[in-house]
Amino acid sequence: MLVRGLLTTLKAFLTEKTVTVQYPEQKRMVRTRFRGRHVLRRYEDTGLERCIGCSLCEAACPADAIFVEASENSDEERYSPGERYASTYEINMLRCIFCGYCEDACPTEAIVLSDNYELSFHDRASAIYTKEMLLEPVPPGGKPTPQRTPPGVYTRAIPEMSDPTD
Amino acid sequence: MANQVTLTIDDLTVTVPEGTLVVDAARKAGIDIPVFCYHPKMEPVGMCRMCLVQVGRPMVDRATGQPVLDADGQPKIQFSPKLETSCTIPVSEGMVIRTNTPEVLRAHRDIIEFLLTSHPLDCPICDKGGECPLQDLTRAYGPGQSRFLLDDKMRLAKHVPLGELIYLDRERCILCARCIRFQDEIVDEPVLSFYHRGRSMQIVTYSDPPFDSYFSGNTTDICPVGALTTADFRFAARPWELKNNASICTQCPVGCNTTLNTRREVKSGGKWVVKRVMPRQNELVNEIWICDKGRFGYHYAESGERILSPHVRKEQGLVPVSWDEALDLVEQRLRQAGAGTVTLAGGRLANEDLFNLAQVTDHLGGRKLLHTQVGGGEYVQRYGLGKGSNLGELGKGDAILVIASDLQEEAPVWWLRVKRAADRGAALMVLNPRPTRLDPYARFIHHYRYGEELEALGRLAAGEGELAEAAEALRSAENLVIFYGSEGLGLAETTALAREAAGLLAGSGRAGKVNSGLIGVWQQNNTLGAYDMGFRPEADLAGALSGSGLAWIAAADPAGDHPALEAALKQAGFLVVQDLFMTRTAQMADVVLPAQAFTEREGTFTSGERRVQRFYPAVAAPPGPLADFSIAARVGLRVGIELEGASAATVMLRIAASVPAYAGLDYALISEVSEQWPIIGREDRYYGGTGYDNHQGLGVQLQPDAVTDPDGEVSIAMAAPAPLQVPEGAVYLAPVTRLYDQGLTLKPSMKIVGQRMARREVWLNPETAARLGFGAASLVTLEGEGWTASGVEIRVDEQLPPDVLLAPRSVGIPATGPEAVRLRPLVTEPEA
Amino acid sequence: MNAFHAKYQTEIEQILAKYPPERKRSAVMPLLFLAQRDDNYISPNELADIAEILEMSVTDVASVVGFYTLFYDQHEGRYRIQVCTDLPCALRGAETFFEALCKELGVSSGGTTPDGLFTIEEVKCLAACHRAPVFQVQGDGEIAYYENQTAETALQVIAALREKAVQEARSREGAA
Repeated sequence: MLVRGLLTTLKAFLTEKTVTVQYPEQKRMVRTRFRGRHVLRRYEDTGLERCIGCSLCEAACPADAIFVEASENSDEERYSPGERYASTYEINMLRCIFCGYCEDACPTEAIVLSDNYELSFHDRASAIYTKEMLLEPVPPGGKPTPQRTPPGVYTRAIPEMSDPTD
Repeated sequence: MANQVTLTIDDLTVTVPEGTLVVDAARKAGIDIPVFCYHPKMEPVGMCRMCLVQVGRPMVDRATGQPVLDADGQPKIQFSPKLETSCTIPVSEGMVIRTNTPEVLRAHRDIIEFLLTSHPLDCPICDKGGECPLQDLTRAYGPGQSRFLLDDKMRLAKHVPLGELIYLDRERCILCARCIRFQDEIVDEPVLSFYHRGRSMQIVTYSDPPFDSYFSGNTTDICPVGALTTADFRFAARPWELKNNASICTQCPVGCNTTLNTRREVKSGGKWVVKRVMPRQNELVNEIWICDKGRFGYHYAESGERILSPHVRKEQGLVPVSWDEALDLVEQRLRQAGAGTVTLAGGRLANEDLFNLAQVTDHLGGRKLLHTQVGGGEYVQRYGLGKGSNLGELGKGDAILVIASDLQEEAPVWWLRVKRAADRGAALMVLNPRPTRLDPYARFIHHYRYGEELEALGRLAAGEGELAEAAEALRSAENLVIFYGSEGLGLAETTALAREAAGLLAGSGRAGKVNSGLIGVWQQNNTLGAYDMGFRPEADLAGALSGSGLAWIAAADPAGDHPALEAALKQAGFLVVQDLFMTRTAQMADVVLPAQAFTEREGTFTSGERRVQRFYPAVAAPPGPLADFSIAARVGLRVGIELEGASAATVMLRIAASVPAYAGLDYALISEVSEQWPIIGREDRYYGGTGYDNHQGLGVQLQPDAVTDPDGEVSIAMAAPAPLQVPEGAVYLAPVTRLYDQGLTLKPSMKIVGQRMARREVWLNPETAARLGFGAASLVTLEGEGWTASGVEIRVDEQLPPDVLLAPRSVGIPATGPEAVRLRPLVTEPEA
Repeated sequence: MNAFHAKYQTEIEQILAKYPPERKRSAVMPLLFLAQRDDNYISPNELADIAEILEMSVTDVASVVGFYTLFYDQHEGRYRIQVCTDLPCALRGAETFFEALCKELGVSSGGTTPDGLFTIEEVKCLAACHRAPVFQVQGDGEIAYYENQTAETALQVIAALREKAVQEARSREGAA
């Protein structure tokens, strides 16, 4: 009996590929629908923030992990298209259960769950991600926010939909 | 009682008074018919078509006039070929209403689809999103999809300031005209209107300043979409994030019920803060309205200039110290002063605060003085409104007399209630020296000369000359309510006026009657409560203060009000000041004790209609300040009287035990609610806008002394005012009240109502100004008795009577009553 | 008495006399037409003055101006030439007529000639389909109707109005 067991082990040891990954040197690919840390996106052409501070993610969040406060844009100091932007955006990663409801609730597709799963903290305070930490870098061709914009251009908060049923 | 009518709504048999609208009858039966333009407080217009229902009426044989019966012997019902708007049809006997047939539901769906053809659907950034009737009804009745082309949506201005308080979003507007009708029907200040027609129709204002009304905030509540929003709450929070905390407005003696909406805020370090003030329904007090001062003037409580720790005067001036150190010193000085203690309380304090202050003062044998420029509270205690009164019930056959008050400026919601009573047919008599915004609704107007208010009242009582008809109306009225204010008057004059008015009431046998009584238009919200707790105004306040061993000033700023009082306070043996801010009085004090604001604590106020109402804590108090009753209790404990300092509810029990008028009161009783009509604020929200349901108390009206103690009498040791002699070259100054004053409770809200605030200016008839040698806009120095005020601008108004100068209170012109003043041109100092 | 009242004192008093004093506001439309007489529009000052005379709110007066299409609160041409281009008129050549007129005046639809005399605009039905092309001229406090028009006849009307304006200007100069 004992020999048979050892044989099985040996066979696996000799024939099968190893499954262990040398993290953190090596990283495993994540699946396409993986839900990791949130990212606040920007519009690729302008660099304006997509988030309009509507708090719907906060309302949808079953774990009460999100806190949003909104303020008013002006053409001198514009963060996002339309009248409203998020002046405060915080996610408590200790509370977050990565359900992705915030993504679903977002009317501008501003918040998405990224591939980043490296979330460890030494204290509770550092588990709160602020807007600066969540915002993605300014895309090439875009400008950082706040921006000075010409009047009458960015009047709508919600982007035009080519197909409303989409 | 009106005749009752029985009808059937969705198989439910409902009996309602004749004249009730179908939509209201259904609401009473618990069936909600969706509406947009209809509002229970306003006349129906049937504009939005959302309330379409099927209406059937019993068939009548034309020849005999008898109802046609079917085979079962039941009346045959004939349904209209088309749907009808349930908001415009009064009920009739035997009517059958169907609200949920496929036909009706289809109509609802189509109306929503039409309304949304040009609605931007920007709910995510809309301040109404979450409490929006259009949103709720779209979810409940809407089609889910539109057959209209997206590209055909109107693109209109999204941010149109209608003045600095209210913003209009033209895209969101569904043209229900609720705001226009509110301004027109209810307030009668038609400053909003439709412009253009058809698809180009929009809301406009042409007034100057734009949207010139003290009630403009209410239009944002009744707006069924996010078209009208307030500047103050712009993007401040989403409605579902807010907590509702019941409160009472502290700006005037009406005592409007309010809800303080609170949320945590990053700017304030994560603390709970008040985000907005909303009206709370109390049909007995403010219905579902509040004025803009109450709505936007709450910011003083969160001002950064609040005193946060006790201060004691040392060599280097006032320095922050611990409570123990400050109270030790107060204790020591109070013991020394003993019966020489004078406690001066302002009418901003709650009943609990005033009670504890009174107890400590009585224990020491000191004097309890009330800081007010309006007197006569003793008469209101005795001849105030009878228990169970409701200004909303006054109408045909009743009379209201308003004397010496510009009611819209002094107490806007009372103005509204009086105006509405006059609309319903009450005989309104306005006795005032100059025209006011109440005149258009008055049946009798009498403009007397400033200083002749008693004679005017006498003429009315006697029915002399042009007042004969008014006197007859007054005599024959079923109920009589008398408001007296402080237009051009001071303490002595208002006290005398109250006595005469009380005499008029009592003389006509209406003392203590329900819906009859005397109402003083106080300058502060709880002056009447201070009277009830035993505080009394003193004619020679300066003398009382200067002769005091210790002056304990709570929620009052005598030094800021008049230089004579400032001088008197300098002579006081010791000065203890208990307040929210470093007022001028506080800056002179030996000890300053920081008090909590009304948003941070609980208590009760007694309104001008003698209704005891409770306010609740909404936000956490900053560390340091204590509630005024708590401060008084701590002081009391040190000087040897045990008082309740932790629980306001327990203080109320003690008040009930020792103040006869408050006997039997407790917080549970004050917090009781009963169903109110119209029903608003149910979960559906669409029926009454966002005016909140009242779960936290309608308050308890006190019984006037004339009922509880019919043989009692009022005795006031106050000399009658001497007629004012205006010497040659001087002019008669009449102090008047402006709503947006520069008082303590409004100044920190400057950024909101800034440009509407009372300015440092005086008003004259142009001829009088010319006689005195001044034109409009010239700058002058006023010289009164013992004071000067420089840099005052002259304004002229043709409507004013001659030889009088109107000076707004609170703008730094320290006139406390009528007096003769001299005007000198302002000499600018030559530059050195 | 405000500026507008002083300017047309007799007319205003005549108009007001037609209505009972407690229903003064009934006079709002005649007064608005009066205000429009000289320059074919109602200025904000005139709006405020009319409100004062009739004891109405300025907003209420403005809303009447907004509701009726023949009141204007924008300063445009002294004469407004309004051509109906609805379907029946279009079938009788109203569109080409309108274009020709625009071309002759050198402005596009809704535009005003540089001398400030004419504004040309398309309007809805003028109730004379069978006599199209049809247009009306509003100005000098009057409305004149012209039916069965061609570009030539219309231009004669325009020339006559222009001549009238020139004569007036000349007589004003002469008086000065």
